[in-house]
Amino acid sequence: MPQNKYNSTLSGNPQSATSQQYPNGNPDAQYNTPGVKNTDSCVPLHPAGEVLHNYACDGPTAGNIAFKWIYGSNIAARNRDPRIQAVQYNEDTYILRQNVCVHWEAPFTYLLFGNRAALLIDSGATAEAAYYPLRAMVDAITTRWTQLRRKKSIPLTVMLTSGEDIAQNQGLKQFAGRPETVLAPTPLAEMKRFYRLSDSWPNGAARIDLGGRVIEAIPTPGAHKDGLSFYDPYTRFLFTGDLIFPGKINIGNDKDYLASLIRLKRYMQAHPVKWLMGGHVEMQFVPGKAYPRFATYKPYERLLQMEPELLDDAIASARQVVGKELALVRPDFILLNRVSPDQRTSVFPDGVPNITAPRPF
Amino acid sequence: MPIASAILSAESNAQTPEPSAPRRIDFKSNLPAPGSFPDRWICGSPSCMDNQDPPIQVHWYNDHTVFLRQNKAYSYEAPFMHLYFGNERILMLDQGFTQLSSDWPLRETIDDCISKWCARNGRKPEALELLLAFSHLHSDHYAAHNQFVDRPNTRYMGLTHEEMLGFWGMTNYPEERVTLDLGGRDIWIWGSPGHVISEFAYYDTYTQILYTGDMFYRGRCYISFWDKWFDSMKRLIAFVDSHPVTHIVGCHVEISQTGEDYPYGVTYQPDEAPLQLTVAELRKAFEVAKTITKPGIYFTGSVFLCNQTRATTTLDKNPYTYS
Repeated sequence: MPQNKYNSTLSGNPQSATSQQYPNGNPDAQYNTPGVKNTDSCVPLHPAGEVLHNYACDGPTAGNIAFKWIYGSNIAARNRDPRIQAVQYNEDTYILRQNVCVHWEAPFTYLLFGNRAALLIDSGATAEAAYYPLRAMVDAITTRWTQLRRKKSIPLTVMLTSGEDIAQNQGLKQFAGRPETVLAPTPLAEMKRFYRLSDSWPNGAARIDLGGRVIEAIPTPGAHKDGLSFYDPYTRFLFTGDLIFPGKINIGNDKDYLASLIRLKRYMQAHPVKWLMGGHVEMQFVPGKAYPRFATYKPYERLLQMEPELLDDAIASARQVVGKELALVRPDFILLNRVSPDQRTSVFPDGVPNITAPRPF
Repeated sequence: MPIASAILSAESNAQTPEPSAPRRIDFKSNLPAPGSFPDRWICGSPSCMDNQDPPIQVHWYNDHTVFLRQNKAYSYEAPFMHLYFGNERILMLDQGFTQLSSDWPLRETIDDCISKWCARNGRKPEALELLLAFSHLHSDHYAAHNQFVDRPNTRYMGLTHEEMLGFWGMTNYPEERVTLDLGGRDIWIWGSPGHVISEFAYYDTYTQILYTGDMFYRGRCYISFWDKWFDSMKRLIAFVDSHPVTHIVGCHVEISQTGEDYPYGVTYQPDEAPLQLTVAELRKAFEVAKTITKPGIYFTGSVFLCNQTRATTTLDKNPYTYS
C-alpha cells in the first residue's frame, strides 16, 4: 500500500532542530531550492581563485542555530564553559555569546562577512582579553573564513548598537591597532558623522557595503540615546541590541523609544525580517518571567531569536508606558520606564499562564 | 585496603599523645574577650569564573570564635556565618546559600575548624555537640543545612517558626530572652522580627558581640513589617542601654566604604565597608527610624532602611535615561 502522507508523529526525530513542523525535513518542498547557491562547493580539489558569494537571494539565506546557549552555572567560580561560545549560523554569519560567569550581561555579538569586508556588531561587556578573548575569537574565525574564501585578508569594521552601553562597548578596546580595522566612534556626534546621519538623525539609514552584502544601520534611540539597529537582507536578521530583546528593557527616553519602534515597523514593511536578534537574553522560557540582574545561572532561558510580529506587541506596550513610571510585563519581554532597573511588579498580563519555574538549585 | 588504612590510622593515633583531662576554658573572666576582624573580606571578582578565592573565608576572631564568609562567586548573597565554641557545645549560626557539598564545602570547612580547635584545646570533636541554628528563615541562611544531616552529635534548628521556637524552648516570643549554655559560655537569644517573622538576636557574653541577622546589617535592611521591626529596634536599644556591646554584626555587607549602595545581586564589591557596626550606628538608625512614617528607602549613614519596598524596587537608577 503506498504511503504518500508524511506523518511527523510517526517519523519525527526529536534530535533534529531544523524545524518543529518538519523535524526531518519537509517532503513536499523542492530538493533543489534557491538557497543552495549560497554555499560554495568543497568538491574541487584545487579550486581556482577567490570564492565570491552571491548574496542576492530570494528569501532569507539558509542558516541554523542548532544549539543551546551557554547559561552560566550554579557556582560561577567553578564554571568551565568556553569564555565565548561561537556558533556558525552559516558560512558568512557567526553568533558569539559571552560566558555568563565572565559577565552576567552575557551579551551576544554578531560577525558578518561579505565578499570584501567583515562587520562585527557589538563588542561585549568585558575589556580584559584574558577574561573575554573577543579579539582572539574574531581573529580566528576571520582567518578560517579567509582560508575558505582563498583571500589574504579581509578588512573589519566594528559597529555598536549603542556606543554608551557598557554591556556592549567594552570589547572595543581589544581591537585598537588591529590592521585593516575601523572602529565606529562612540561619542554621539562623531558617531552620527561616521554614519553620515548627522542631518537626518533619527531618520534615514546608513549603508554598509560588505561586498554584495549591504547592511543598513537604522537610528533607533530610546533604550540608549545613541541606539542603532542593523538590518542584514541576506539572513533577514534585524539586530536590535538593547532596543528590543527578550529581557528587561530599560527605556532611556519613552518618546524616542516608541518612535524608534514605529520607524522599525515602517522599515520592516519594505525589508522582510526573519528574526529580531537582540543583544541579550534575560527572559525565562516560561512567559513573563525574567532572570534577575547579575544572575550567573540561567538554566531556563528563552530563545535568543524573536519573531518579527513581536514588534507589534512592543509598540502596543510602549504606548502604554509612555509618560508613566511603570514596569510592564509581556510574555517575551518586560518594559521598564522611568523606574529602577530592579523594579518589580505584581501585575501579570491577562490570559498568560503564570508559571513559576523551579529554583535552579 | 580498609584493613590497611585502619592499621595506619591506629598507628598515627598512637603517635599522638592521649590528651590529659582537657583544661576547662574560662569564658566568664576578663570580658570582653578581645578579637579582631580581617582588614578585608573576600568580595568577589570582576569575572566570576576567574575567581581564585576560597569557597569560604575562615577568620578566627579569637581562639574560640570564628566568622566565615561565603565567596561572592559562589553566591551573590555572600552571607556571613559564625561559630562559637564552648567547653561542651558549639553553636553555628547560619549555613550559607548553597545546598550541595559538591558545590560548596561548608561541612568540610566547619569540621576542619572544629578539628583545629579540638587539637588546640585537647578535645575530641565527637565529644562536642554541634548546634546548627540560624538568624532567620530565609534560604540564604540555611541552604547548606543538610550537608550535616549525617554528622553525629549534631542538632538542627528546623525550618519552621514552630521548630525554631521549640529549639530555643521559647514560649513568649519575641520578648522572652533565653540563655544557651555552651559549657561555660552563655549565648543570650531573643526574638527580633521585622525583616521576617522568624528572626532572632544573639548576644555572645564572651566577646559581647551582638548578632542582628538581616534585621539590622550594613546594607539594605528590608523591613517587611514596620511595627514589629520598630519594636525589635526598641528591644535592641534597651539592650545596649543596659549591657556592654563590642560590635553589632549582621549577615551581609552591601555598602561601599563611601556609603554607595551595591545593587542587589552584584558579584563584585571591591570597596566594601566593614561587616561590624557600632552601638552608635544602631542608635543613629533608631533615631532615623523614629521619623519614618511611610514606605520608602531611608539612609541612616550606615544602613539603608528599606521600609516595605522589597517587592517593588531598590535604589539604583537606569544610567542611560536622557531627556
